[in-house]
Amino acid sequence: MAGTIAADTLTHSTAGSLGTQFVVNGSAKAWVNFNGTGTLAVRNSLNTSSVTDNSTGNYSQAYTNSFSAADYSICATVADNSGVNAQWTYESVSTSGFNYLTADDAGSGYTWTDYASNSATIHGDLA
Amino acid sequence: MSEIKTNKLTGTSTAGSIVVTGEGNSTTTNLQQGLAKAWCNLNGTGTIAQRDSLNHSSTTDNTTGTYTFSLVSSMGNTNYISPTNCDRTIDTRNATEGVQYLNIATGSYKIECVNAIPNLDDQELVNTQTLGDLA
Repeated sequence: MAGTIAADTLTHSTAGSLGTQFVVNGSAKAWVNFNGTGTLAVRNSLNTSSVTDNSTGNYSQAYTNSFSAADYSICATVADNSGVNAQWTYESVSTSGFNYLTADDAGSGYTWTDYASNSATIHGDLA
Repeated sequence: MSEIKTNKLTGTSTAGSIVVTGEGNSTTTNLQQGLAKAWCNLNGTGTIAQRDSLNHSSTTDNTTGTYTFSLVSSMGNTNYISPTNCDRTIDTRNATEGVQYLNIATGSYKIECVNAIPNLDDQELVNTQTLGDLA
């Protein structure tokens, strides 16, 4: 039977109590794991309607359910299993998505580069 | 103010799926999918030590700047994510540090921390969090 529980606190017998604001506010509202090389492929995700390959090292993540404001937190990692120069940054943050940028930093400047392992988590307020 | 006392939350329709109403009071988000399944704060210098962690059984110091994190409860597949950041010396500005993760398995994953040269480099602070599907 489906049901709804409304409560402000969850209490475990030994692990302590937790205000449910931490459940609502502390849960990741979106995350994604994608392969950015060749034909882009999303391996797994939450609240992600699509990841678009804009150009080399430039991707757009779009959310299924938008955020209430564009002031949410993005934490990401890019990995190149054969090298050590992969870097990431982001731009164009909106309530419905953001651009994820990856580059090779070989010490003489950045070169936009596709990588196989890209992941991001997003925390903030849903609309 | 209401309070629920329980040791376990289980979905009624699907045991592993509970939705939570978002801050905007309209859309919902999946509780299980949004929860970090593991996290770790590691001192990766000298004799490495976990300062605090969730669902991590151990961390192995493989070689300079290279650590393997082992999970207590394994993930259901290798498509999970573990965004990680590191700091060579806490409270000291260093050249850009990078993190690569590799050897991803359901029960463990390995990361390499590098400096700007880039060379593998031990880090005083390594923070990692894991999201995805538990087994």
